[in-house]
Amino acid sequence: MAPIKHTLFLVSGVSSFIIFYMGIVNYLSATDKSNGMILLIFSILVAAGTLLSTVYISRSITKPIEKLAHNMREFSKTNKLSKKNPIKTNVQEIFELNENFETMGEQVEQTIEVQNEYVEKLKEMDRKKLEFSSMVSHELKTPLVPILGYVQMLQNKDLLGGLNEKQMEAVDEIHASTVKLQRLVGDILTTQKLDLGKLDFTVEKISFAELFNSIIKEFTPITNEKNINLELQFEGDIEIQSDSDRINQVFSNLIKNAIDFVPKNSGKITIGATDSDKSLECFVQDNGVGISEINQKDIFKKFYQIDTSTSRKRSGSGLGLAICKGIIEGLGGKIWVESIEGKGTKFYFTIPKKIVRSTIKKDSN
Amino acid sequence: MSDKKGKQREEMQSLKILIIDDNEQITKMLTTFLELKEHKCTIANDGKEGLGLIKENEHDVVLLDLAMPEFDGYAVIKDLEENNLLRERKIIVFTASTITQEELDSLVQRGITSYILKPIDIDKLLSKIVETANS
Repeated sequence: MAPIKHTLFLVSGVSSFIIFYMGIVNYLSATDKSNGMILLIFSILVAAGTLLSTVYISRSITKPIEKLAHNMREFSKTNKLSKKNPIKTNVQEIFELNENFETMGEQVEQTIEVQNEYVEKLKEMDRKKLEFSSMVSHELKTPLVPILGYVQMLQNKDLLGGLNEKQMEAVDEIHASTVKLQRLVGDILTTQKLDLGKLDFTVEKISFAELFNSIIKEFTPITNEKNINLELQFEGDIEIQSDSDRINQVFSNLIKNAIDFVPKNSGKITIGATDSDKSLECFVQDNGVGISEINQKDIFKKFYQIDTSTSRKRSGSGLGLAICKGIIEGLGGKIWVESIEGKGTKFYFTIPKKIVRSTIKKDSN
Repeated sequence: MSDKKGKQREEMQSLKILIIDDNEQITKMLTTFLELKEHKCTIANDGKEGLGLIKENEHDVVLLDLAMPEFDGYAVIKDLEENNLLRERKIIVFTASTITQEELDSLVQRGITSYILKPIDIDKLLSKIVETANS
């Protein structure tokens, strides 16, 4: 590709040279030198005229086109028509070209403006949504405070006087339901925050040995009570930079799910992690009912609960796995499941050893 | 502090506790519980009243709710900070609001002694109160 002015100058240069050359040849071969001189001067004038008009044509075509190209480049960068560099031209084609470009540019400007308005509106709606769910969560949590407080007092026979066995059972039931309600309120808020990319992570040095220790400690009373064999496959220690509370939450959600699905009296749940270069691969395995292939695709969706009418009733909110996925992805990892129906399920997830700040979803505001 | 020692202290001490919360059911429940545990409670149902009582400095520990109408917990904290009292008093923020860990950490940086999130386990709250009083 070559600029058009090069072509113009090449053509007019060659023509001018030929005219000039013919003038010279004619003068040298002429018998009447004065006649030859007139023709030579004439040929020089024509050659000069050709060159000058080429300069003029070149300027009137290429200059405005160059300016237009510049304006287009600016427009594609800023999406705004620049008024700094107006194009003046007598060439009709260029005039029309520029006019069409400006019309198109104005339309693009308008479309972008409308789109920006929509984006602003959506952002505002998102903000209101989070505000609303925060408010609801606060309003729901507040009455739970005295409920849980009094229930705990009733459960302690030294405080409000002892209850008989039936009364104690009733209070225990109230306690269990209240705790469930409390967890549900928390889950809803966490999901909402995940949706809006506003879940905050606290990144610090964490020890997996300690993390597993506290998880096993937390779940041993429940698994012992249900005769489930809870096993840890992890030796030594690995230290990484991540959010220990959130990772704990993921393990807890997966273990709670597993507890719901393992067979009575012969349940087995194994948790663990293996080191793989830049990340840790963690797992939670059970010998429960398993998940069919069709269901495996959907289990990470919100409020998705496998129809377990034939096995047993589920106790979760249907948000647990969606929260796990949100947290793991927020920490820069991946979560997936392998399962054979009737044999058991193994959830895997990876956690990068170092969190890259930009991988944490945060609102850009 | 070992658990045993803590328990002994918990049993021995009678603390003066100031509870600042606009929710009367919460303050009533906490008073019932803490008085059964032999502590003395004073209740302030709004931030202004609470701030006045904090300044009188007659309490061992203050439980401060954040979300209150008009003069809220943040306003109390700001006033105490301006009067260089925030680090002088033992304040436990307890809140049901959606508060981020960063915000909680920044409150601790500014000088509150501790925090606990609602809904609370009353036994945990009590050990936090005792721990704070002895800190």
